[in-house]
Amino acid sequence: MDFKDISIRDLAIFLCDYLAKKGIETVLSGGACVSIYTENEYLSYDLDFVLIDTAHKKRIRKILEELGFEQEGRHFRHSDTPFFVEFLSPPLSVGEEPVKKIQVIEEDGRNLKLLSPTDCVKDRLAAYYHWNDRPSLEQAVLVSLAQSVDLKEIERWSSNEGMADKYSTFLEELKSKSI
Amino acid sequence: MLEPLLESEKKEKILFFLYSHGEGYAREIARKFQFNLNTVQNQLSNLEDHGVLYSRLKGSVRLFGFNPRYPFKKELEALLKKAMMFLPENEVRKYYWPRLRPRRTGKPL
Repeated sequence: MDFKDISIRDLAIFLCDYLAKKGIETVLSGGACVSIYTENEYLSYDLDFVLIDTAHKKRIRKILEELGFEQEGRHFRHSDTPFFVEFLSPPLSVGEEPVKKIQVIEEDGRNLKLLSPTDCVKDRLAAYYHWNDRPSLEQAVLVSLAQSVDLKEIERWSSNEGMADKYSTFLEELKSKSI
Repeated sequence: MLEPLLESEKKEKILFFLYSHGEGYAREIARKFQFNLNTVQNQLSNLEDHGVLYSRLKGSVRLFGFNPRYPFKKELEALLKKAMMFLPENEVRKYYWPRLRPRRTGKPL
């Protein structure tokens, strides 16, 4: 596989599908989902895959090394691409809640499992809610503008996280950016 | 108290420490309990790997605390809170009552 000039989307699709064919189920989360849903309006260099079964963690290193990746601490890097890959332990969650519905992007017979746009917004908002991370708020807004998201569900989830006030800030920000 | 669940007395003490102090770093925890530094670092790193803890750099010190995005944080804290109620009073005072007031520069104690 040639990783030179590969996009984050194509790399995510390749890796998710490749690992699935080896029996390792993963779901893409984090900033890479934002890149995919905003068509790189926000460009992440970080592919965070959540493992469905932590038992596979030890096998991943061997598989990625066969593809030319090298482990650096918790990350894997490949000399042909600036992106780095990390595998996170289960459970797949947004804040306190488990992720119930997983999105699948199918391309050329390959599948990428990732957070839905609505869960991607929640994931970014969780970083804003708990760490006051302003870039994460902006990413949540970007995804909400680029994709169809369930604002009622995000509002419910925000209240459940005890963050109804910060949800209002998000909504104001979203309205100010909407044309 | 939670050893049968956590299978490690050290892990239990580290979690109690972080629960009572909010944040802590490996050397501080190791010193407090007279644990081997590597053991504490490994436990913290393992808990971070599994999303239970976050870490952040403050100057050159890596601080650890409960990850607010860990889905079982609330339940874990409730469990630790309850378990701490069963600890001897002197143990709680010695290990889990953090000094919150400031300490002036140069003060020996």
